[in-house]
Amino acid sequence: MFKNEEMEINLGPQHPSTHGVLRVKLRLDGETVTHCRPMIGYLHRGVEKICENQSFFQGQVWTDRMDYCSAVANNLGWAEANEKLLGITVPRRAQYIRTLLNEFNRIASHLIWLGTHAMDIGALTVFLYAFREREDVLDINEAFCGSRLTTTAFRIGGLREDLPPGFEKMVRKFLAKFSDCLDEYEALLTENRIWKKRTIGVAKLSAEDAIALGVTGPMLRAAGVAYDIRKAFPYAAYAEMDFEVPTRTEADTYARYEVRMAEMRQSARIIQQCMDGMPEGPVMAKLPKILRSEVNEVYHATESPKGEIGYYLVGEKGSLNPYRFHVRAPGFINLQSLPKMAEGGLIADVVAAIGSLDIVLGEIDR
Amino acid sequence: MPTPTLTQSIVITLIQCLLVVIFVFVVVPLTVFAERKVLGHLQMRLGSTRIASGHTGLSGFLNRGMWKMGKVPVLSYWRGIPGLLADVVKLIIKEDIIPDKADRFVFFLAPSISMVAAVVVFAAISFVPGTFFTFPTWFPLVGGLPVSGGIADINVGLLWILGVATVGVYGIVLAGWSSNSKYPLLGGLRSAAQMVSYEVPLALSLLAPVVLAASLNFTEMATRMAVGMPIWALVPQVIGFLLYLTCGFAETNRLPFDMPEAENELVAGFHTEYSGMKFGLFYLAEYINMTVVSALASAFFLGGPWLLPFGLQGLLNPYLPGFLSWFGEPHAIFFVAKIIFLLFTYIWVRGTIPRYRYDQIMAVGWKYLIPLALVNLLLAAAIRCFAV
Amino acid sequence: MNKFLRTLIPTDIAKGLSVTGKHFGQVFFTANRRKVPFHIVGEYPEVPAKVQPRYRGRLTLLKDEQGEIKCVCCLACEKICPTQVITIEKGKMEGRKMPFPVRYDFEMERCIFCEFCVESCGFDSIILNHQFELAAYNREDFSLGTKGTAQNMFELSPVGKYSVAED
Repeated sequence: MFKNEEMEINLGPQHPSTHGVLRVKLRLDGETVTHCRPMIGYLHRGVEKICENQSFFQGQVWTDRMDYCSAVANNLGWAEANEKLLGITVPRRAQYIRTLLNEFNRIASHLIWLGTHAMDIGALTVFLYAFREREDVLDINEAFCGSRLTTTAFRIGGLREDLPPGFEKMVRKFLAKFSDCLDEYEALLTENRIWKKRTIGVAKLSAEDAIALGVTGPMLRAAGVAYDIRKAFPYAAYAEMDFEVPTRTEADTYARYEVRMAEMRQSARIIQQCMDGMPEGPVMAKLPKILRSEVNEVYHATESPKGEIGYYLVGEKGSLNPYRFHVRAPGFINLQSLPKMAEGGLIADVVAAIGSLDIVLGEIDR
Repeated sequence: MPTPTLTQSIVITLIQCLLVVIFVFVVVPLTVFAERKVLGHLQMRLGSTRIASGHTGLSGFLNRGMWKMGKVPVLSYWRGIPGLLADVVKLIIKEDIIPDKADRFVFFLAPSISMVAAVVVFAAISFVPGTFFTFPTWFPLVGGLPVSGGIADINVGLLWILGVATVGVYGIVLAGWSSNSKYPLLGGLRSAAQMVSYEVPLALSLLAPVVLAASLNFTEMATRMAVGMPIWALVPQVIGFLLYLTCGFAETNRLPFDMPEAENELVAGFHTEYSGMKFGLFYLAEYINMTVVSALASAFFLGGPWLLPFGLQGLLNPYLPGFLSWFGEPHAIFFVAKIIFLLFTYIWVRGTIPRYRYDQIMAVGWKYLIPLALVNLLLAAAIRCFAV
Repeated sequence: MNKFLRTLIPTDIAKGLSVTGKHFGQVFFTANRRKVPFHIVGEYPEVPAKVQPRYRGRLTLLKDEQGEIKCVCCLACEKICPTQVITIEKGKMEGRKMPFPVRYDFEMERCIFCEFCVESCGFDSIILNHQFELAAYNREDFSLGTKGTAQNMFELSPVGKYSVAED
């Protein structure tokens, strides 16, 4: 009697909850999603190619602009990959400061994720509360390196400058209140029946699927795989830190929420340890005047807030700039799992799924 | 008291209508303003504190001084109001865009249906019991005649309100359909299902006080509910109040039930394609509906226009000292205070809790609210039968 | 039974409401009474933004005690700049041994404020100042430099009139 037609709908690229310029092509049967394909490339700037044409030293500013919510983590990966390539050992104090800032960055990135994800699901206020704490983290960034978002925090071989005066006070002040703030967000969300209904059992991605699709980071840990590069292949000063890798087995949006909240608490722990055990010494290694690569190629992966960010650098021995540069961007690879999570769900679940992916389009499109 | 002629009563009714429209156009912008302010305060901001070019002039100078001292200028509490005025002017003078493929007639019709349905409800709400004011004798045509507190204080006012408020759904559904666009269509369909489902528990929850008070007349009901009932007899009223409030949120498309316009999924839902004053009418209608729902809640559950809610008046009356005896008298101000409190609750809830998913909304409506409302109604009937 | 009661009585929602309600009360009733207010917004144009000592603002050429430009045209900043915003033209000035920048152009539109130029400068002759407002209405206002049609580099950005964080 009636013709059953599917409706094709474009979620984005201009849409309130696609976190930038992601376009998702959806085919809907009523409100049920039968087909979902993310379309990317609206923010492509050719970061990899630009970096190939610039010296090792200059390339770092482009990593800031890939995942602009976690610029410090990107800087760290870039700096360490280059140090491997150029054969430089970083002083211990610099390692500690790097770890410290990286964990702060993890907190900031997760806070953005929390705010926007809760906003997508309809809780307006969490966004502002989360940004209140993120503001403090950005102030700490600014105190250390002079910029809040695009930090360019590290240098190949260490740090540009030591910690500024008054830095420790800022950090301690932040740590003292941060746990209470997390409790506040959790009071608004964790037990809330609507939040639970919207997230429990939504956008499931089993461990097998996640591994098959190359998904890393909190997404993978929420599926029960305790894979964290900070533990598996320790870099910076993580080998000396005492922290846990929070995992859940439910593999749904709620589990990802819990994992990220737990990660923020662990980050605060790591920061505390860094601050307490900060060694004295120089923050910059002795560098040659002109940076030339020592080995041919290098792949270095670090744990960015979104997942495994890997830098693949090919440099002929003695060259001034990378011959080939490639980024294994966690957002890009995690986004592959969106069809798996969203198909069969409702249109509102697509929004929850995108939110739980924690994507930044600057990194996906590069 | 002279009996008014037909002409006179028509004139009086028109004056009343004018008063209601003025009331609406005062209350709605103030609610919008309050929403900005309250949401701001909930989120540790200050809401709108300034208008454009606020740095110049005397008030700019004074404000700047206060900000510099680290104080919030007293003036700035009200600084959002000119912005509000500017919003209205912007809506009116904005270009009115009609999508190419839209059904033009229905596209025009939809916002007016929403708006009219929202305003007409006020006909049956009496703001003040009895006479509101009497015209002075020198007044032409209607001198010396009383103006009652409601346009039509009819006995079946409740039916009128429920009936007319339902018509508002058509506005939303038609808007969604006539835009000939995908997101509005989804929004319209959602709202059709949602509002029709929530109409049922809404009416059922309103029936409990009706059964208890054995009347459909606001004035009578409020008095009976507030005075002379044993306190335990009011349990169904409290449950009914919470049920009604929940359904009211759904009926007015507010968070957590703002499915038709769910911003993060459907962009702006049924009014995605609307701009200018047509959008303004939807906007107005939403806030008028909020006011109506609050007015009804305070009339049916919170002791009517003047009494304390949940039978507290009956408990309090014997202890009222002489100079406070006016407390038990009708005052429109109490009514307004209750409405303001309920509107505040609306905004408070909006600022706190997330949004349901579409299928969950239906589940909540049919699986929880309707059975609960029925149980509540049975409870009220039992109390009515055996106790009161 | 316990679960049923928990479904019936919305304590979770009440908990959320209490959090937001607490903040509403704090902000609403103490906006003017506390030394450190509860609300966290800054009143930006009236109260200047506070920047940290290491803040990276606009590139500025420094002068020495005699009022002469310190830059000696070693071109290090020009070379290190990732976005090539600095253009220097070498020249001579009477009574000065070191080379003198006849032209020192700085295209602020493309600058990404990474401070590599300052880092590379061996003569401490440039800094990124603490100017917070770098907006302008015209494109020409972003071409800063020492001479020609470019905006004078030694003055403040044309739009930063509401507040300047002190250096």
